[in-house]
Amino acid sequence: MRTSQRDTRASSAVVVYVIILVAFQVFLLTVAVEAFATDDEPLAWATAGISIALAAGSAALLRYLRP
Amino acid sequence: MVDDPTPQPTWQRDFPYESAAEDEVTRREFARYLVAGAGVMAIGNLGLAAWTQLRTINTGEPRALIPLADVAVGDTYLFTYPSDNDPAILLRLADDDVVAFSQKCTHLGCVVYFEADEDRWHCPCHEGNFDARTGAVISGPPPRPLGRIDVEIRDDTIWALGYQP
Repeated sequence: MRTSQRDTRASSAVVVYVIILVAFQVFLLTVAVEAFATDDEPLAWATAGISIALAAGSAALLRYLRP
Repeated sequence: MVDDPTPQPTWQRDFPYESAAEDEVTRREFARYLVAGAGVMAIGNLGLAAWTQLRTINTGEPRALIPLADVAVGDTYLFTYPSDNDPAILLRLADDDVVAFSQKCTHLGCVVYFEADEDRWHCPCHEGNFDARTGAVISGPPPRPLGRIDVEIRDDTIWALGYQP
């Protein structure tokens, strides 16, 4: 496989990973709203922590994209 | 007459909108937008967690609710506590025995009501049931007991003293 093709596939995979992480973030947002509605602080903080970790992870994946 | 080798799509003919930059979003830019969205959602999550924490810090100030004579034994009284946005319900169990709970079901926040026949608090959304005296979960999906409001009878008036989530 040529290098350019491999790079294209790699960056496509990174974009797919980021899309999956963002979709999971949407799910986490609904969980946070539920935690808010039921005054469930531990769940709300756990959700926030995971959400921040996912955002940081998706930002880190940007490094693997070709400029 | 020669056929156009790349005919215009129907949608483009119906909606002839064009932008100079519409073909210029690179994969990296698209990923950046996604990451920015993820960041916004993370900040939103953090804000919701902080708001949830701040709400539960407020345990309320002591205040008079209603004269004892206005609530018959076995009757309930609706009020708000600790803030005006927190629905609560009071039940007079006996002459000098009163309990009060947050009306928010701990499952998904629906409003519970008293089922006198079954002697329990009932959430109609997902059939959650709580003990009338303690607020403990009897059955259904709620994970925690109802939030309890400390009440006391002072000079023939029912007082709310504080909220325990």
